[in-house]
Amino acid sequence: MWRIGVDIGGTFTDVAVIDEGGSAIGLAKTATTQDDFSRGVMEGLRDALRDQQVVPSEVSLLSHATTVVTNALLEEKGARAALVTTRGFRDVLELRRSARADLYDLFQDPPSVLIPRHRRLEVNERISARGEVVTALDSADAERIIEQLRAMDVEAVAITLLFSFLNDSHERALGNMIRAALPHLKVYLSCDILPEVQEFERTSTTAVCAYVGPLLHSYLHGLQEATQALGLPKLRVMGSAGGVVDVPEALRMPAAIVESGPAAGVMAARLMGRQTGRDTLLSFDMGGTTAKACLILDGKVETTAEYEVGGSGNQNRWLHGTGHAIRVPVVDLAEVSAGGGSIAWLDRAGALQVGPHSAGATPGPACYGRGGDQPTVTDANLVLGYLDAASLLGGQMDIDKEASIRALTDRIATPLGQTPREAAAAILRIVNHSMAEALRIVSVERGHDPRQFGLIAFGGAGPLHAAALAEELDMPEVIIPPVPGGFSALGLVGSDVRRDYAQTLYADLATLDPSEAEAIWQEMETDGRAMLEQTGIDTSRWSVARSAGLRYSRQAYELTVPYDGTEATRDGLDALARAFHDVHRQTYGHHNPDEPVHLMTLRLTVSGALPPLELRQDGTTGGNSLKGRRTVWFERTGEVDCAIHDRARMQPDETLTGPAVIESYDSTIVVPPGWIARNDDRGCICMERRT
Amino acid sequence: MTDQSPQGPAMTSGADPATFTIIRNSLLKATEEMKIVLAKTAFSPVLKVAGDYSCGIFDARGRMVAQGPDLPVHLGSMPVAVMAVARAFDGDIHDGDIFIHNDPYQGGTHLPDVNVVTPAFHDGRLLGFACLRAHWPDIGGDTPGSYGTVTSIFGEGLRLPPVRLYSKGQPQRDIHAIITANVRTPDERMGDLNAQVAANARACTRLSALAGRYGTELLVAVMEDILDYSEQLMRMRLADLPDGDAVFEDWLDGDGILENGETTDATIPIRMRLQKSGPEIRVDFDGSSPAVAGPINAPLAVTASGVYCALKMIIDPDDLIPPNSGAWRAITIDAPEDSVVNARYPSPVVYANTEMSHRVCDMVFGAAAAFWPGNVMACSQGTSGVVTFGGSDPRNAHGYVSYEVVKGGMGARPGKDGITAICAGIANTMNTPVEIVELSFPLRVERYEIVDDSGGPGQFRGGLGVRRSWRVLDGRAEATVCFERTISPPFGVCGGDDAAPAQVRVIDPEGRETPLNSKQSVTLEPGWVVDVIAPGGGGYGPVAERDPAAIRRDLREDYISDESARAAYGITPDTR
Repeated sequence: MWRIGVDIGGTFTDVAVIDEGGSAIGLAKTATTQDDFSRGVMEGLRDALRDQQVVPSEVSLLSHATTVVTNALLEEKGARAALVTTRGFRDVLELRRSARADLYDLFQDPPSVLIPRHRRLEVNERISARGEVVTALDSADAERIIEQLRAMDVEAVAITLLFSFLNDSHERALGNMIRAALPHLKVYLSCDILPEVQEFERTSTTAVCAYVGPLLHSYLHGLQEATQALGLPKLRVMGSAGGVVDVPEALRMPAAIVESGPAAGVMAARLMGRQTGRDTLLSFDMGGTTAKACLILDGKVETTAEYEVGGSGNQNRWLHGTGHAIRVPVVDLAEVSAGGGSIAWLDRAGALQVGPHSAGATPGPACYGRGGDQPTVTDANLVLGYLDAASLLGGQMDIDKEASIRALTDRIATPLGQTPREAAAAILRIVNHSMAEALRIVSVERGHDPRQFGLIAFGGAGPLHAAALAEELDMPEVIIPPVPGGFSALGLVGSDVRRDYAQTLYADLATLDPSEAEAIWQEMETDGRAMLEQTGIDTSRWSVARSAGLRYSRQAYELTVPYDGTEATRDGLDALARAFHDVHRQTYGHHNPDEPVHLMTLRLTVSGALPPLELRQDGTTGGNSLKGRRTVWFERTGEVDCAIHDRARMQPDETLTGPAVIESYDSTIVVPPGWIARNDDRGCICMERRT
Repeated sequence: MTDQSPQGPAMTSGADPATFTIIRNSLLKATEEMKIVLAKTAFSPVLKVAGDYSCGIFDARGRMVAQGPDLPVHLGSMPVAVMAVARAFDGDIHDGDIFIHNDPYQGGTHLPDVNVVTPAFHDGRLLGFACLRAHWPDIGGDTPGSYGTVTSIFGEGLRLPPVRLYSKGQPQRDIHAIITANVRTPDERMGDLNAQVAANARACTRLSALAGRYGTELLVAVMEDILDYSEQLMRMRLADLPDGDAVFEDWLDGDGILENGETTDATIPIRMRLQKSGPEIRVDFDGSSPAVAGPINAPLAVTASGVYCALKMIIDPDDLIPPNSGAWRAITIDAPEDSVVNARYPSPVVYANTEMSHRVCDMVFGAAAAFWPGNVMACSQGTSGVVTFGGSDPRNAHGYVSYEVVKGGMGARPGKDGITAICAGIANTMNTPVEIVELSFPLRVERYEIVDDSGGPGQFRGGLGVRRSWRVLDGRAEATVCFERTISPPFGVCGGDDAAPAQVRVIDPEGRETPLNSKQSVTLEPGWVVDVIAPGGGGYGPVAERDPAAIRRDLREDYISDESARAAYGITPDTR
């Protein structure tokens, strides 16, 4: 049987077709169709099925990562939605958190407000910080709101009342009234979407759901119909936390699928790590404009709920407020604006900078000859010999190396009094340093030593830079998986079905009645088991993981700590507190065992594992992998005559000694002097530093 | 790019271009790492949620080489604070030492802003310092929150000159004991202090690693180069802009002290002359009020921060000039001694950091409008809108102090309306979520909303102001407000109108309102409400030139009322 993963990217839609038995991985790339994503998806699917000679009835799983949600937010093409809040708080969405995104930009704009003020309504009601009703829900007021919603002709409504995470009765009653009166409306309650403290983040997350829900609904239903008409199995969708969900679950919680593509990459890395006996890895995904790093520790991937979609995304960790806040678990990535398209430039004082601006796909690097005259990281790679005119994009594109040299000379080398090669080397040092920063953030900054980790690198440009990054951080090993250019799509088919639950329970851990926690965890677990029941996954492959968001009683940020056990007990909660002190010291370098530990959020994840999947790229086209030689520059050696190998012709266990360059149709691997690269039995290139 | 410096940065270190950029980026990243540790481990809401702190890396002489993406209000004063440590302990600084101080007369801002300064060493050589300045919600004194209307620095709380908090790795328990004896909620303060110490340790580790990798000599030399580089960029950009000379006058609402039988707080005049010539700029405060009795006297470093922040936004909105000690060499500030913009011992200062800094920043825009109309914004909210509550929480019998700031509108800009409800100018803190306030303190927030008609009309409208009200639930509470712009409204520029002024009042359980002075402390019984409006920003350009479509949008969204549409914009609402 076969599994198919479809990953929509900015330029290409990747369709990966994988043999469950682990013998073949096929990848089809089609152009992403921005006006109607499903058209590109269907084209890619037909191509992939044809190329791999797979009939739809032999497909056991179809899984999808989509950018529909993110695009709707970025292009402001979402639904006409309304918001209902507690009286006195209709502006919560527009007041945001009051910090400006850029300290000094006089002309900055705040992000768009998804629901304008004239569609934000207030209702008389109030719940206290103890969850008690201060003012009962005013049903006459609710009737008035229903009439206003009717008159506004909206498609969706978000309801976020204060303290609904402690007492959801008002939200539910109002929601029921609206659903009964206006059945065509999509109604999102904050107590369903995000039963957690902090009204702005809860409102923003719920508003995002209302804003994109209708669009996502028509997209997923349309695609599901089309794929089923083709004879393919039920569509699944990748969630931002690294698990897949079915279509109804995605529609229940649209905010949970925003980062599905990047999450898929990390899950593929985790799966490959597990299958090759490595459960402690840093994953590194580099494309044309951004590079993303993630920590895989003991086979686990951390998630975070601090996330903004749109704006400058997560590339600037501190200047919040450029995008729309969503508080749902997202694979915890560190991202930097650095990629093949990053532009190198001299500032007015003549200092060399790389990025954050990118030449993108158009005009692209100077060597593309599409009018780009600014040198990029790709141009630097070309000038140093890491890339070759014939190897870029599988040789399907005319590459103008002279244009790269010209851009480097005119813009960088001449003003600095350097040769183009020196300028290119300087550009790579700078961009590698900033990408290493992303790896530092997920390791050093959280108390982990990168020297204990292997680096698994993918994305079109990841394999080019991986060894240099490993040297920067003194990491011993680099793994380049098969099809690094379409690797994320593999994660789609190797991820578990998963759903994450969270519920604020504001309590001192030492005095909390365990039965109170147990009741909440039980409710989550019951719901999760019902969800898994629907998937048809055998109960032997179900798992339930409890954890808790904890902090010292006066801190503001939680650390998520796993709860060891299947039932909440006093001993278990005490052990949880001890574990928190340890995690705090590990993460921040200090802890305070005398300080009370405060429980903020109970969390539970249910997952259903799909049958095991072997990721393996078998077979070689035979013959000698050496396909030529060219001059390549390395920092340690200067210019050397370097062997160029064809990855497709490498034998299992074939070992190359750096300097070497290994080329395949979707990416190029650089093996610097001092490194050895071995092709393992799954088609991974494993590089180690010679001691 | 034609006006680019042909030789590259004026470098004396001899570092190659890549090494220079990498070290510069690394120092900035070190400040971000400090920020993450502080934010995630501090105890008080004003630090952990609101973000009222700054992180910096300094050279061995105390000059700031890198500031994190923090608060512009600390731009001018942090170096002076670190220099005070370097000077006080010259020749007696050891690996494992950690210093603390909050003295406004030695580079501090006001007593609640506590500096923790940690020297970084590599192989026994002092590389420089990490400094984390954090606003503690309380530093002692008579009023919870240390925001009382006092008439001397001694009433404002605990003043620490530079002293050792740790000596060669050993905590100085006597200093800790002095601190815990003098502040309210000492456990919380120790939590904050531990977070500051831990954050600095991260930065020092990183500095040491950089020295190990690139060599101590090169690292120290590049730090010097980074200062020269900022200066060079600043002078080049200044030289591009037209010369000019303008005077701008404004007045503060008052200092919170009624003197000699006054019935209302006396206003305080400020005068600023801005002269720009070639690659240099001079700001002269001659003609500003002498120091006043109440705590609105600004240490010169606070005044300087307001100037630096506005000039950076005008000159470098793309943030290409690293804000460090070198960047400000092209700027000269003159202020009369012992005036409200250059405080001397023992003048009280606590309000100045949050109020005078805003005022100075806004006034630079006001003055520069005369010759750089395309690079300025109108006056923003012009106040930090500080509201504190203190008392005993009946839920747990613990003392509590709540410190919040309320953010109004940003001034209108050439081509754009001002932003609503956002920190403008010198500040950039976050609001405290209503649900966090109510879970933490015996208070109920009854409204938090945008105020219509609060933005200054103009071709481009000022951002709108914000109203927030808190009801005291159980137990008596002492509330303190510190506002500006209650009688001196945020001004418009280039023909734009002023915004509506701020409002501060208390409301009794029967709904009767009593206005408060802009700066005042009151004791409130349960059921009383503190109700404030942080003002909007001023308008930009003549109101007659406003796009009618923008007026219709403002009417539809209730950003302006029908009356305002008629009165201010001369439009009849039925044309909407």
